[in-house]
Amino acid sequence: MNFYYFSSPATFYRLAGTMAPFFFAAALATGIAGLYMGFVVAPTDAQQGEVYRVIFIHVPAAWMSMFAYFVMACYGAISLTFNTRLAAMMARAIAPTGAMFTFVALWTGSFWGRPTWGTYWVWDARITSELVLLFLYLGFIALANAFEDPRRGDRAAALLAIIGVVNLPIIYFSVQWWNTLHQGSSVSFKGTSMHVAMLWAMLLMAISFWMYTIGAALVRCRTIILERERRAQWVRAMT
Amino acid sequence: MDHQFYLWMSYGATALALAAEMVALRAGRARARRLIEEERDLEAQD
Repeated sequence: MNFYYFSSPATFYRLAGTMAPFFFAAALATGIAGLYMGFVVAPTDAQQGEVYRVIFIHVPAAWMSMFAYFVMACYGAISLTFNTRLAAMMARAIAPTGAMFTFVALWTGSFWGRPTWGTYWVWDARITSELVLLFLYLGFIALANAFEDPRRGDRAAALLAIIGVVNLPIIYFSVQWWNTLHQGSSVSFKGTSMHVAMLWAMLLMAISFWMYTIGAALVRCRTIILERERRAQWVRAMT
Repeated sequence: MDHQFYLWMSYGATALALAAEMVALRAGRARARRLIEEERDLEAQD
């Protein structure tokens, strides 16, 4: 398979248009299944009661916020190294969805924190580093759009994305490195302490958010391609 | 406060955020298409 063929904006535009509806459909199907598992099948938590069900969006949103940032930084690194237009466009396309999931993680975390910890917000290492991630996303979006020449914006924003990767292990290991109010991970590669229905609900929601992120990034990337390639013959012939 | 408040505020806000992004995606696409149309009209006038 020739990957250079798919790195052409014209080819990718058509491919993304075909793939995006499937990702949105998968997001909807797994989202419905996840909500069913989370609200109907999963039992009430013995300590936290019903309010623990916030985790079915809080944890997947937090995972997605970090994973999307990592992918965005990878695209940024590819665009800087190989000077590829499409990688820079994909990095731009991922950023708003990543920022949205970071906001959702912080917002839902505060509405989980109030009944369990007694406060909406605390300057705890995990929460503060997640807030820094939101600022990194917003900084990336602002920097990418701050230049008249979009290619200069791409390079500056890619550099910021790569530097910001240092924040990801800080978020992940913050609960181990510092004495935080935020609890440690309930799910790891070694196993889980959760009820199987709770785990399935969380994993299904994580898959749903993942599918949604890919679908949204593909749609946004198509818009960026249209804007940038608007003088190209293939765009004029198509629209 | 009742646990329903915290659940609604969490799930409701997430649904709103997702809906807002979908609207923004559609608006962005419409803007890009309008831009192409405008450029084409300008070129036709020239």
